[in-house]
Amino acid sequence: MIKLDRASLRYGPILGLSPTTFELPDGGGITGLLGPNGAGKSSLLQLLSGLLPPSGGDVRVFGEAPFRNPAVLARLGMVPEGDRLPMGLRADRWLRMMGELSGLSGDGLKSAVARVLDTVGMADRAHLTFTRMSKGMRQRIRLAQALLHEPDLLILDEPFNGLDPEARLVLMALLRDLATQGTRVLVSSHILGEIAQLTDRILLLFRGRLLAEGTVTEIRQLLDRHPVELRLTGEAQALARWAVEQPELAALRMEDGGVVISVGSPRDLLPRLQKAAAEGAIPLRALDPLDLNLDAVFQYLTKDHA
Amino acid sequence: MTIAAPSPLATIRATARGYLPRVFQGRGWVVASLVMVPVALSLVIYTVAHIKGAEGRPYPSEALRVFHEVLVKMMLPIMALVAAPAGIREDLEQRTLPLLLVRPAPAWALPLGKGLPWFAWGAIWLVLGALGLQVLGGDPALLPGRLLGLVGAWWGELALMTLVGLLFKRGTLWGALYFFLWEPLVRIFPPFLQRLTFTHHIESLAGSRAGQVHAHQLLAQEQVTTHPALALLALLAFGALCWALAGWKLQRTPVGLAGSEAEG
Repeated sequence: MIKLDRASLRYGPILGLSPTTFELPDGGGITGLLGPNGAGKSSLLQLLSGLLPPSGGDVRVFGEAPFRNPAVLARLGMVPEGDRLPMGLRADRWLRMMGELSGLSGDGLKSAVARVLDTVGMADRAHLTFTRMSKGMRQRIRLAQALLHEPDLLILDEPFNGLDPEARLVLMALLRDLATQGTRVLVSSHILGEIAQLTDRILLLFRGRLLAEGTVTEIRQLLDRHPVELRLTGEAQALARWAVEQPELAALRMEDGGVVISVGSPRDLLPRLQKAAAEGAIPLRALDPLDLNLDAVFQYLTKDHA
Repeated sequence: MTIAAPSPLATIRATARGYLPRVFQGRGWVVASLVMVPVALSLVIYTVAHIKGAEGRPYPSEALRVFHEVLVKMMLPIMALVAAPAGIREDLEQRTLPLLLVRPAPAWALPLGKGLPWFAWGAIWLVLGALGLQVLGGDPALLPGRLLGLVGAWWGELALMTLVGLLFKRGTLWGALYFFLWEPLVRIFPPFLQRLTFTHHIESLAGSRAGQVHAHQLLAQEQVTTHPALALLALLAFGALCWALAGWKLQRTPVGLAGSEAEG
Protein backbone atom coordinates (compact mmCIF):
# COMPACT_ATOMS: atom_id res chain seq x y z
CA MET A 1 0.00 0.00 0.00
CA ILE A 2 2.77 2.42 0.95
CA LYS A 3 6.32 2.13 -0.26
CA LEU A 4 9.11 4.62 0.32
CA ASP A 5 12.44 4.04 -1.37
CA ARG A 6 15.07 6.40 -0.01
CA ALA A 7 12.49 9.17 -0.10
CA SER A 8 13.68 12.47 1.31
CA LEU A 9 12.26 15.94 1.69
CA ARG A 10 14.09 19.23 1.79
CA TYR A 11 12.77 22.67 2.68
CA GLY A 12 15.44 24.71 0.90
CA PRO A 13 18.65 24.01 2.78
CA ILE A 14 16.87 22.27 5.65
CA LEU A 15 16.45 18.52 5.53
CA GLY A 16 12.93 17.68 6.68
CA LEU A 17 13.24 13.97 6.12
CA SER A 18 16.41 11.98 5.53
CA PRO A 19 16.34 9.26 2.87
CA THR A 20 13.80 6.84 4.29
CA THR A 21 12.81 3.39 3.19
CA PHE A 22 9.89 1.40 4.49
CA GLU A 23 6.77 -0.42 3.37
CA LEU A 24 3.30 -0.77 4.77
CA PRO A 25 1.34 -3.74 3.47
CA ASP A 26 -2.23 -3.71 2.15
CA GLY A 27 -5.11 -4.33 4.50
CA GLY A 28 -6.39 -2.77 7.67
CA GLY A 29 -4.51 -1.95 10.80
CA ILE A 30 -3.16 1.01 12.67
CA THR A 31 0.40 2.19 12.40
CA GLY A 32 1.69 4.85 14.76
CA LEU A 33 4.18 7.41 13.58
CA LEU A 34 6.09 8.59 16.59
CA GLY A 35 8.60 11.28 17.17
CA PRO A 36 9.12 14.55 19.01
CA ASN A 37 8.26 17.87 17.39
CA GLY A 38 10.46 18.45 14.38
CA ALA A 39 11.18 14.75 13.93
CA GLY A 40 9.86 14.72 10.38
CA LYS A 41 6.44 13.17 10.99
CA SER A 42 4.50 15.84 9.15
CA SER A 43 7.05 15.81 6.33
CA LEU A 44 6.55 12.09 5.89
CA LEU A 45 2.77 12.42 5.98
CA GLN A 46 2.88 15.24 3.44
CA LEU A 47 4.83 13.00 1.09
CA LEU A 48 2.35 10.18 1.52
CA SER A 49 -0.72 12.37 1.09
CA GLY A 50 0.63 14.00 -2.05
CA LEU A 51 0.86 17.50 -0.64
CA LEU A 52 4.58 17.63 -1.34
CA PRO A 53 6.68 15.71 -3.87
CA PRO A 54 9.85 14.06 -2.56
CA SER A 55 13.11 15.94 -3.02
CA GLY A 56 14.82 12.62 -3.67
CA GLY A 57 13.97 8.95 -3.84
CA ASP A 58 10.57 7.53 -4.59
CA VAL A 59 7.19 7.54 -2.85
CA ARG A 60 4.49 5.11 -3.93
CA VAL A 61 1.01 4.92 -2.51
CA PHE A 62 -1.25 2.28 -4.05
CA GLY A 63 1.59 1.76 -6.53
CA GLU A 64 1.63 5.35 -7.81
CA ALA A 65 3.31 8.66 -6.99
CA PRO A 66 0.76 10.56 -4.88
CA PHE A 67 1.62 14.22 -5.67
CA ARG A 68 -1.49 15.77 -7.36
CA ASN A 69 -2.50 12.28 -8.46
CA PRO A 70 -6.31 11.88 -8.44
CA ALA A 71 -6.08 8.09 -8.62
CA VAL A 72 -4.21 8.02 -5.31
CA LEU A 73 -6.10 10.86 -3.65
CA ALA A 74 -9.44 9.18 -4.42
CA ARG A 75 -8.43 6.33 -2.10
CA LEU A 76 -6.79 8.42 0.59
CA GLY A 77 -8.18 10.44 3.48
CA MET A 78 -6.08 13.00 5.28
CA VAL A 79 -6.59 14.87 8.53
CA PRO A 80 -3.87 17.53 8.65
CA GLU A 81 -2.51 18.82 11.92
CA GLY A 82 -4.38 21.55 13.77
CA ASP A 83 -8.03 22.44 14.03
CA ARG A 84 -8.23 25.00 11.27
CA LEU A 85 -11.31 25.09 9.10
CA PRO A 86 -12.63 27.82 6.81
CA MET A 87 -14.27 30.22 9.19
CA GLY A 88 -17.85 31.26 8.72
CA LEU A 89 -19.00 28.15 6.90
CA ARG A 90 -21.52 25.60 8.14
CA ALA A 91 -20.15 22.16 8.80
CA ASP A 92 -22.77 20.24 6.83
CA ARG A 93 -22.49 22.46 3.77
CA TRP A 94 -18.71 22.37 3.89
CA LEU A 95 -18.75 18.58 4.14
CA ARG A 96 -21.07 18.49 1.18
CA MET A 97 -18.55 20.50 -0.81
CA MET A 98 -15.70 18.25 0.29
CA GLY A 99 -17.74 15.25 -0.76
CA GLU A 100 -18.30 16.76 -4.19
CA LEU A 101 -14.57 17.43 -4.47
CA SER A 102 -14.06 13.73 -3.74
CA GLY A 103 -16.29 12.79 -6.65
CA LEU A 104 -19.50 12.09 -4.74
CA SER A 105 -22.84 13.38 -5.95
CA GLY A 106 -26.59 12.96 -5.59
CA ASP A 107 -27.93 10.50 -3.07
CA GLY A 108 -24.50 9.00 -2.55
CA LEU A 109 -23.21 12.36 -1.40
CA LYS A 110 -26.18 12.94 0.88
CA SER A 111 -25.85 9.56 2.53
CA ALA A 112 -22.06 9.91 2.84
CA VAL A 113 -22.42 13.22 4.68
CA ALA A 114 -25.06 11.75 6.99
CA ARG A 115 -22.92 8.66 7.60
CA VAL A 116 -19.74 10.51 8.53
CA LEU A 117 -21.59 12.98 10.73
CA ASP A 118 -23.13 10.05 12.53
CA THR A 119 -19.76 8.31 12.76
CA VAL A 120 -18.08 11.27 14.44
CA GLY A 121 -21.12 12.03 16.58
CA MET A 122 -21.85 15.43 15.06
CA ALA A 123 -25.16 14.76 13.31
CA ASP A 124 -27.12 17.05 15.61
CA ARG A 125 -24.57 19.90 15.49
CA ALA A 126 -23.68 19.92 11.82
CA HIS A 127 -25.72 23.04 11.17
CA LEU A 128 -23.31 25.11 13.28
CA THR A 129 -20.68 27.30 11.70
CA PHE A 130 -17.07 26.46 12.47
CA THR A 131 -16.66 29.65 14.48
CA ARG A 132 -19.30 28.39 16.93
CA MET A 133 -17.68 24.99 17.38
CA SER A 134 -15.28 23.89 20.07
CA LYS A 135 -11.86 22.57 19.17
CA GLY A 136 -13.01 19.00 19.75
CA MET A 137 -16.01 19.48 17.49
CA ARG A 138 -13.84 20.94 14.75
CA GLN A 139 -11.47 18.01 15.07
CA ARG A 140 -14.38 15.63 14.59
CA ILE A 141 -15.47 17.48 11.46
CA ARG A 142 -11.92 17.31 10.13
CA LEU A 143 -12.02 13.58 10.64
CA ALA A 144 -15.45 13.40 9.01
CA GLN A 145 -14.19 15.07 5.81
CA ALA A 146 -11.48 12.45 5.53
CA LEU A 147 -13.98 9.61 5.81
CA LEU A 148 -16.49 10.87 3.25
CA HIS A 149 -15.22 8.77 0.37
CA GLU A 150 -14.45 5.70 2.53
CA PRO A 151 -10.70 5.79 1.93
CA ASP A 152 -8.49 2.71 1.99
CA LEU A 153 -5.76 4.71 3.67
CA LEU A 154 -6.48 7.23 6.41
CA ILE A 155 -3.67 9.55 7.47
CA LEU A 156 -3.99 11.60 10.65
CA ASP A 157 -1.38 14.13 11.72
CA GLU A 158 -1.42 14.66 15.49
CA PRO A 159 -5.18 14.13 15.74
CA PHE A 160 -5.25 14.03 19.52
CA ASN A 161 -3.83 17.51 20.04
CA GLY A 162 -6.19 19.66 22.02
CA LEU A 163 -8.78 16.96 22.60
CA ASP A 164 -10.10 16.29 26.07
CA PRO A 165 -9.61 12.77 27.47
CA GLU A 166 -13.13 11.68 26.60
CA ALA A 167 -12.82 12.88 23.02
CA ARG A 168 -9.49 11.08 22.73
CA LEU A 169 -11.03 7.82 23.80
CA VAL A 170 -13.89 8.29 21.35
CA LEU A 171 -11.45 9.00 18.53
CA MET A 172 -9.31 6.01 19.44
CA ALA A 173 -12.33 3.73 19.44
CA LEU A 174 -13.34 5.13 16.07
CA LEU A 175 -9.91 4.53 14.57
CA ARG A 176 -9.88 0.99 15.91
CA ASP A 177 -13.27 0.36 14.30
CA LEU A 178 -12.06 1.69 10.97
CA ALA A 179 -8.95 -0.46 11.13
CA THR A 180 -11.05 -3.50 11.91
CA GLN A 181 -13.20 -2.77 8.87
CA GLY A 182 -10.14 -2.85 6.61
CA THR A 183 -8.91 0.73 6.55
CA ARG A 184 -5.19 1.22 6.93
CA VAL A 185 -4.76 4.00 9.51
CA LEU A 186 -1.51 5.91 9.81
CA VAL A 187 -1.54 8.20 12.81
CA SER A 188 1.22 10.48 14.05
CA SER A 189 1.76 11.73 17.54
CA HIS A 190 4.51 12.97 19.78
CA ILE A 191 2.69 11.65 22.84
CA LEU A 192 3.75 8.10 23.20
CA GLY A 193 1.01 6.99 25.54
CA GLU A 194 -1.63 7.80 22.95
CA ILE A 195 -0.05 5.60 20.32
CA ALA A 196 0.63 2.85 22.84
CA GLN A 197 -3.09 2.73 23.59
CA LEU A 198 -3.95 2.61 19.92
CA THR A 199 -1.48 0.24 18.35
CA ASP A 200 1.76 -1.56 18.96
CA ARG A 201 2.99 -1.14 15.40
CA ILE A 202 5.09 1.96 15.20
CA LEU A 203 7.47 3.89 13.02
CA LEU A 204 9.84 5.94 15.12
CA LEU A 205 11.20 9.15 13.63
CA PHE A 206 13.80 11.44 15.12
CA ARG A 207 15.50 14.43 13.52
CA GLY A 208 14.27 13.47 10.08
CA ARG A 209 15.42 9.87 10.31
CA LEU A 210 13.44 6.68 10.63
CA LEU A 211 14.99 5.15 13.74
CA ALA A 212 12.98 2.00 14.09
CA GLU A 213 10.01 0.13 12.69
CA GLY A 214 8.04 -2.72 14.18
CA THR A 215 6.11 -3.57 17.32
CA VAL A 216 7.14 -2.14 20.63
CA THR A 217 8.48 -5.54 21.61
CA GLU A 218 10.41 -5.92 18.35
CA ILE A 219 11.93 -2.55 18.77
CA ARG A 220 12.72 -3.28 22.36
CA GLN A 221 14.62 -6.35 21.22
CA LEU A 222 16.84 -4.10 19.17
CA LEU A 223 17.83 -2.47 22.37
CA ASP A 224 19.38 -5.31 24.22
CA ARG A 225 22.26 -3.14 25.23
CA HIS A 226 19.82 -1.08 27.26
CA PRO A 227 18.93 -2.88 30.46
CA VAL A 228 15.27 -3.42 31.24
CA GLU A 229 14.12 -2.31 34.66
CA LEU A 230 12.00 -4.75 36.65
CA ARG A 231 10.42 -4.15 40.02
CA LEU A 232 10.37 -7.26 42.25
CA THR A 233 7.94 -6.87 45.12
CA GLY A 234 8.52 -8.97 48.22
CA GLU A 235 11.06 -9.25 51.02
CA ALA A 236 13.77 -6.94 49.77
CA GLN A 237 16.84 -8.49 51.38
CA ALA A 238 16.10 -11.98 50.08
CA LEU A 239 15.25 -10.73 46.59
CA ALA A 240 18.47 -8.72 46.47
CA ARG A 241 20.52 -11.74 47.57
CA TRP A 242 19.02 -13.79 44.70
CA ALA A 243 19.39 -11.01 42.17
CA VAL A 244 23.08 -10.33 42.69
CA GLU A 245 23.84 -13.93 41.78
CA GLN A 246 22.28 -13.53 38.31
CA PRO A 247 24.75 -12.89 35.44
CA GLU A 248 22.28 -10.56 33.60
CA LEU A 249 22.11 -8.10 36.48
CA ALA A 250 23.33 -4.63 35.54
CA ALA A 251 22.06 -2.61 38.53
CA LEU A 252 20.04 -3.05 41.69
CA ARG A 253 18.14 -0.55 43.81
CA MET A 254 16.53 -1.29 47.15
CA GLU A 255 13.04 0.06 47.73
CA ASP A 256 10.45 -0.27 50.44
CA GLY A 257 8.83 -3.63 49.95
CA GLY A 258 11.09 -4.82 47.13
CA VAL A 259 13.93 -4.15 44.75
CA VAL A 260 14.30 -2.65 41.30
CA ILE A 261 16.76 -4.49 39.11
CA SER A 262 18.17 -3.65 35.70
CA VAL A 263 18.86 -6.67 33.56
CA GLY A 264 20.53 -6.91 30.19
CA SER A 265 18.53 -9.78 28.78
CA PRO A 266 15.18 -10.27 30.49
CA ARG A 267 14.23 -13.18 28.22
CA ASP A 268 17.01 -15.25 29.81
CA LEU A 269 16.37 -14.09 33.33
CA LEU A 270 12.60 -14.29 33.52
CA PRO A 271 12.26 -18.09 33.27
CA ARG A 272 14.75 -18.55 36.13
CA LEU A 273 12.94 -15.91 38.16
CA GLN A 274 9.63 -17.64 37.54
CA LYS A 275 11.09 -21.01 38.55
CA ALA A 276 12.69 -19.65 41.72
CA ALA A 277 9.42 -17.99 42.75
CA ALA A 278 7.42 -21.16 42.04
CA GLU A 279 9.82 -23.26 44.12
CA GLY A 280 9.69 -20.78 46.98
CA ALA A 281 13.36 -19.96 46.68
CA ILE A 282 12.58 -16.23 46.67
CA PRO A 283 9.76 -14.38 48.44
CA LEU A 284 8.37 -12.75 45.25
CA ARG A 285 4.87 -11.32 45.45
CA ALA A 286 4.78 -9.24 42.25
CA LEU A 287 6.83 -8.51 39.13
CA ASP A 288 6.42 -5.28 37.16
CA PRO A 289 8.44 -4.27 34.09
CA LEU A 290 9.07 -0.55 34.55
CA ASP A 291 10.26 0.43 31.14
CA LEU A 292 8.96 -2.06 28.64
CA ASN A 293 6.73 0.60 27.18
CA LEU A 294 6.88 3.14 24.41
CA ASP A 295 8.25 5.88 26.57
CA ALA A 296 11.29 3.85 27.46
CA VAL A 297 11.83 2.73 23.88
CA PHE A 298 11.51 6.27 22.68
CA GLN A 299 13.91 7.62 25.26
CA TYR A 300 16.50 4.95 24.57
CA LEU A 301 16.43 5.40 20.83
CA THR A 302 16.42 9.15 20.85
CA LYS A 303 19.19 9.23 23.45
CA ASP A 304 21.33 7.15 21.14
CA HIS A 305 20.78 9.50 18.23
CA ALA A 306 20.84 12.78 20.07
CA MET B 1 -14.03 2.55 -2.03
CA THR B 2 -12.76 4.16 -5.23
CA ILE B 3 -14.77 6.98 -6.77
CA ALA B 4 -14.05 8.76 -10.04
CA ALA B 5 -12.43 12.14 -9.59
CA PRO B 6 -14.75 15.10 -10.20
CA SER B 7 -14.51 16.98 -13.48
CA PRO B 8 -13.09 20.52 -13.56
CA LEU B 9 -16.59 21.90 -14.04
CA ALA B 10 -17.93 19.93 -11.08
CA THR B 11 -14.97 21.16 -9.03
CA ILE B 12 -15.62 24.80 -9.92
CA ARG B 13 -19.33 24.40 -9.21
CA ALA B 14 -18.78 22.66 -5.87
CA THR B 15 -16.18 25.15 -4.70
CA ALA B 16 -18.21 28.17 -5.77
CA ARG B 17 -21.32 26.85 -4.03
CA GLY B 18 -19.41 25.78 -0.95
CA TYR B 19 -17.74 29.13 -0.41
CA LEU B 20 -20.68 31.27 -1.48
CA PRO B 21 -21.70 32.05 2.13
CA ARG B 22 -18.36 33.81 2.65
CA VAL B 23 -19.46 36.73 0.48
CA PHE B 24 -22.38 37.46 2.77
CA GLN B 25 -20.06 38.04 5.70
CA GLY B 26 -18.05 41.09 6.77
CA ARG B 27 -15.64 41.26 3.87
CA GLY B 28 -18.46 40.86 1.39
CA TRP B 29 -20.31 43.86 2.81
CA VAL B 30 -17.10 45.90 2.69
CA VAL B 31 -16.87 45.07 -1.02
CA ALA B 32 -20.50 46.08 -1.49
CA SER B 33 -20.08 49.32 0.43
CA LEU B 34 -17.06 50.30 -1.64
CA VAL B 35 -19.41 50.65 -4.58
CA MET B 36 -22.54 51.82 -2.90
CA VAL B 37 -21.21 54.32 -0.37
CA PRO B 38 -19.81 56.82 -2.91
CA VAL B 39 -22.86 56.43 -5.15
CA ALA B 40 -25.24 56.78 -2.21
CA LEU B 41 -23.28 59.74 -0.85
CA SER B 42 -23.46 61.48 -4.21
CA LEU B 43 -27.20 60.84 -4.33
CA VAL B 44 -27.64 62.26 -0.83
CA ILE B 45 -25.64 65.37 -1.72
CA TYR B 46 -27.68 65.82 -4.89
CA THR B 47 -30.96 65.31 -3.02
CA VAL B 48 -30.01 67.79 -0.27
CA ALA B 49 -28.91 70.33 -2.86
CA HIS B 50 -32.17 69.81 -4.71
CA ILE B 51 -34.23 70.29 -1.53
CA LYS B 52 -32.31 73.47 -0.75
CA GLY B 53 -33.44 74.90 -4.02
CA ALA B 54 -30.93 73.93 -6.67
CA GLU B 55 -32.54 74.15 -10.04
CA GLY B 56 -32.89 71.62 -12.81
CA ARG B 57 -31.63 68.15 -13.38
CA PRO B 58 -28.27 67.00 -12.05
CA TYR B 59 -25.30 67.56 -14.30
CA PRO B 60 -24.09 64.60 -16.37
CA SER B 61 -20.57 65.59 -15.33
CA GLU B 62 -21.35 64.56 -11.77
CA ALA B 63 -22.12 61.00 -12.83
CA LEU B 64 -19.02 61.01 -15.02
CA ARG B 65 -16.85 62.22 -12.17
CA VAL B 66 -18.12 59.64 -9.72
CA PHE B 67 -17.81 56.90 -12.32
CA HIS B 68 -14.28 57.70 -13.52
CA GLU B 69 -12.64 59.28 -10.50
CA VAL B 70 -14.23 57.28 -7.72
CA LEU B 71 -15.53 53.95 -8.99
CA VAL B 72 -13.00 53.15 -11.71
CA LYS B 73 -9.86 54.69 -10.26
CA MET B 74 -10.36 54.05 -6.56
CA MET B 75 -13.12 51.68 -5.58
CA LEU B 76 -12.71 49.00 -8.24
CA PRO B 77 -9.03 48.40 -7.40
CA ILE B 78 -9.78 48.49 -3.67
CA MET B 79 -12.56 45.95 -4.21
CA ALA B 80 -10.07 43.64 -5.91
CA LEU B 81 -7.51 44.21 -3.15
CA VAL B 82 -10.14 43.36 -0.52
CA ALA B 83 -11.87 40.44 -2.23
CA ALA B 84 -8.95 38.54 -3.80
CA PRO B 85 -7.30 37.64 -0.46
CA ALA B 86 -10.58 35.97 0.51
CA GLY B 87 -10.17 33.60 -2.41
CA ILE B 88 -7.64 30.80 -2.60
CA ARG B 89 -5.06 32.97 -0.82
CA GLU B 90 -7.20 32.79 2.32
CA ASP B 91 -6.89 29.00 2.40
CA LEU B 92 -3.17 29.28 1.94
CA GLU B 93 -2.82 31.69 4.85
CA GLN B 94 -5.29 29.89 7.13
CA ARG B 95 -3.63 26.56 6.34
CA THR B 96 -6.88 25.05 5.19
CA LEU B 97 -5.61 24.60 1.64
CA PRO B 98 -4.24 21.08 2.32
CA LEU B 99 -7.79 19.98 3.06
CA LEU B 100 -8.70 20.90 -0.52
CA LEU B 101 -5.51 19.64 -2.10
CA VAL B 102 -5.81 16.11 -0.74
CA ARG B 103 -9.06 15.64 -2.66
CA PRO B 104 -8.94 14.05 -6.11
CA ALA B 105 -10.45 17.21 -7.66
CA PRO B 106 -8.18 19.11 -10.08
CA ALA B 107 -6.31 21.69 -8.03
CA TRP B 108 -6.07 24.11 -10.94
CA ALA B 109 -9.83 24.65 -10.88
CA LEU B 110 -9.89 25.76 -7.23
CA PRO B 111 -8.83 29.43 -7.64
CA LEU B 112 -11.61 30.08 -10.14
CA GLY B 113 -14.13 28.14 -8.05
CA LYS B 114 -13.30 30.20 -4.99
CA GLY B 115 -13.18 33.44 -6.96
CA LEU B 116 -16.49 33.12 -8.79
CA PRO B 117 -18.73 33.94 -5.79
CA TRP B 118 -16.69 37.09 -5.22
CA PHE B 119 -16.90 38.02 -8.87
CA ALA B 120 -20.67 37.54 -8.89
CA TRP B 121 -21.12 39.46 -5.64
CA GLY B 122 -18.97 42.39 -6.78
CA ALA B 123 -20.59 42.43 -10.21
CA ILE B 124 -24.07 42.71 -8.66
CA TRP B 125 -23.07 45.77 -6.66
CA LEU B 126 -21.21 47.34 -9.55
CA VAL B 127 -24.31 47.03 -11.70
CA LEU B 128 -26.40 48.57 -8.92
CA GLY B 129 -23.84 51.33 -8.52
CA ALA B 130 -23.84 52.09 -12.23
CA LEU B 131 -27.64 52.20 -12.23
CA GLY B 132 -27.52 54.54 -9.25
CA LEU B 133 -25.34 56.91 -11.23
CA GLN B 134 -28.15 57.31 -13.73
CA VAL B 135 -30.05 59.24 -11.08
CA LEU B 136 -27.12 61.66 -10.99
CA GLY B 137 -27.55 62.32 -14.64
CA GLY B 138 -25.64 59.53 -16.31
CA ASP B 139 -26.12 59.38 -20.06
CA PRO B 140 -28.46 56.42 -20.78
CA ALA B 141 -26.64 55.75 -24.04
CA LEU B 142 -23.44 55.13 -22.12
CA LEU B 143 -25.02 52.84 -19.53
CA PRO B 144 -24.37 49.51 -21.32
CA GLY B 145 -20.75 50.50 -21.85
CA ARG B 146 -20.38 51.49 -18.22
CA LEU B 147 -21.87 48.22 -17.04
CA LEU B 148 -19.67 46.15 -19.32
CA GLY B 149 -16.63 48.24 -18.46
CA LEU B 150 -17.09 47.86 -14.72
CA VAL B 151 -17.96 44.18 -14.76
CA GLY B 152 -15.26 43.32 -17.31
CA ALA B 153 -12.63 45.21 -15.34
CA TRP B 154 -13.80 43.62 -12.10
CA TRP B 155 -13.35 40.20 -13.70
CA GLY B 156 -9.84 41.08 -14.80
CA GLU B 157 -8.75 42.88 -11.64
CA LEU B 158 -10.03 40.15 -9.32
CA ALA B 159 -8.28 37.50 -11.42
CA LEU B 160 -5.08 39.54 -11.50
CA MET B 161 -5.07 39.98 -7.72
CA THR B 162 -5.76 36.26 -7.21
CA LEU B 163 -2.79 35.42 -9.37
CA VAL B 164 -0.56 37.99 -7.69
CA GLY B 165 -1.65 36.62 -4.30
CA LEU B 166 -0.41 33.18 -5.30
CA LEU B 167 2.79 34.46 -6.84
CA PHE B 168 3.89 36.82 -4.10
CA LYS B 169 3.76 36.77 -0.35
CA ARG B 170 2.93 40.47 -0.36
CA GLY B 171 0.52 40.29 -3.24
CA THR B 172 -1.71 43.04 -1.91
CA LEU B 173 1.21 45.45 -1.85
CA TRP B 174 2.20 44.64 -5.43
CA GLY B 175 -1.41 44.95 -6.48
CA ALA B 176 -1.74 48.34 -4.80
CA LEU B 177 1.42 49.54 -6.52
CA TYR B 178 0.05 48.43 -9.87
CA PHE B 179 -3.33 50.04 -9.41
CA PHE B 180 -2.27 53.27 -7.77
CA LEU B 181 1.10 53.92 -9.40
CA TRP B 182 1.15 52.25 -12.79
CA GLU B 183 -2.44 52.92 -13.81
CA PRO B 184 -2.40 56.70 -13.21
CA LEU B 185 1.22 57.29 -14.23
CA VAL B 186 1.20 55.31 -17.46
CA ARG B 187 -0.23 58.32 -19.23
CA ILE B 188 3.13 60.01 -19.17
CA PHE B 189 4.72 57.08 -20.98
CA PRO B 190 4.42 56.25 -24.72
CA PRO B 191 0.74 56.06 -25.68
CA PHE B 192 0.62 52.36 -26.57
CA LEU B 193 1.36 51.51 -22.92
CA GLN B 194 -2.10 52.83 -22.07
CA ARG B 195 -3.38 49.55 -23.43
CA LEU B 196 -1.72 47.85 -20.51
CA THR B 197 -4.10 49.51 -18.06
CA PHE B 198 -7.61 48.66 -16.98
CA THR B 199 -8.49 52.34 -17.12
CA HIS B 200 -7.91 52.47 -20.86
CA HIS B 201 -10.22 49.54 -21.56
CA ILE B 202 -12.92 50.82 -19.23
CA GLU B 203 -12.81 54.19 -20.92
CA SER B 204 -12.94 52.53 -24.32
CA LEU B 205 -16.16 50.83 -23.22
CA ALA B 206 -17.75 53.50 -21.06
CA GLY B 207 -16.73 56.57 -23.00
CA SER B 208 -13.58 58.57 -22.50
CA ARG B 209 -13.43 61.11 -19.77
CA ALA B 210 -11.12 63.20 -21.96
CA GLY B 211 -13.88 65.63 -22.77
CA GLN B 212 -14.30 66.39 -19.10
CA VAL B 213 -10.60 66.74 -18.32
CA HIS B 214 -8.89 70.08 -18.28
CA ALA B 215 -5.64 70.56 -20.12
CA HIS B 216 -3.56 70.69 -16.94
CA GLN B 217 -4.87 67.26 -15.92
CA LEU B 218 -3.92 65.60 -19.16
CA LEU B 219 -0.40 64.25 -18.94
CA ALA B 220 -0.32 62.07 -22.01
CA GLN B 221 0.67 63.52 -25.35
CA GLU B 222 -2.25 61.72 -26.91
CA GLN B 223 -4.94 59.29 -25.85
CA VAL B 224 -5.11 56.02 -27.73
CA THR B 225 -8.44 54.37 -28.47
CA THR B 226 -9.55 50.77 -28.72
CA HIS B 227 -12.79 49.51 -30.20
CA PRO B 228 -15.26 48.75 -27.36
CA ALA B 229 -15.69 45.14 -28.44
CA LEU B 230 -11.95 44.65 -28.46
CA ALA B 231 -11.63 46.36 -25.10
CA LEU B 232 -14.23 44.03 -23.58
CA LEU B 233 -12.56 41.04 -25.16
CA ALA B 234 -9.21 42.18 -23.78
CA LEU B 235 -10.60 42.46 -20.24
CA LEU B 236 -12.32 39.08 -20.38
CA ALA B 237 -9.33 37.36 -21.97
CA PHE B 238 -6.93 38.92 -19.51
CA GLY B 239 -9.09 37.75 -16.61
CA ALA B 240 -9.35 34.25 -18.03
CA LEU B 241 -5.60 34.16 -18.52
CA CYS B 242 -4.99 35.23 -14.92
CA TRP B 243 -7.40 32.58 -13.58
CA ALA B 244 -5.67 29.97 -15.71
CA LEU B 245 -2.23 31.05 -14.51
CA ALA B 246 -3.41 31.02 -10.90
CA GLY B 247 -4.69 27.48 -11.41
CA TRP B 248 -1.46 26.44 -13.07
CA LYS B 249 0.53 27.92 -10.21
CA LEU B 250 -1.51 26.02 -7.62
CA GLN B 251 -1.37 22.80 -9.60
CA ARG B 252 2.40 22.95 -9.91
CA THR B 253 3.37 24.35 -6.53
CA PRO B 254 3.80 22.03 -3.58
CA VAL B 255 1.76 23.44 -0.71
CA GLY B 256 2.49 21.75 2.56
CA LEU B 257 0.87 21.87 5.95
CA ALA B 258 2.88 24.95 6.85
CA GLY B 259 1.16 26.72 3.99
CA SER B 260 4.24 28.72 3.13
CA GLU B 261 5.76 26.78 0.28
CA ALA B 262 3.71 28.55 -2.34
CA GLU B 263 4.76 31.97 -1.20
CA GLY B 264 7.07 33.77 -3.52
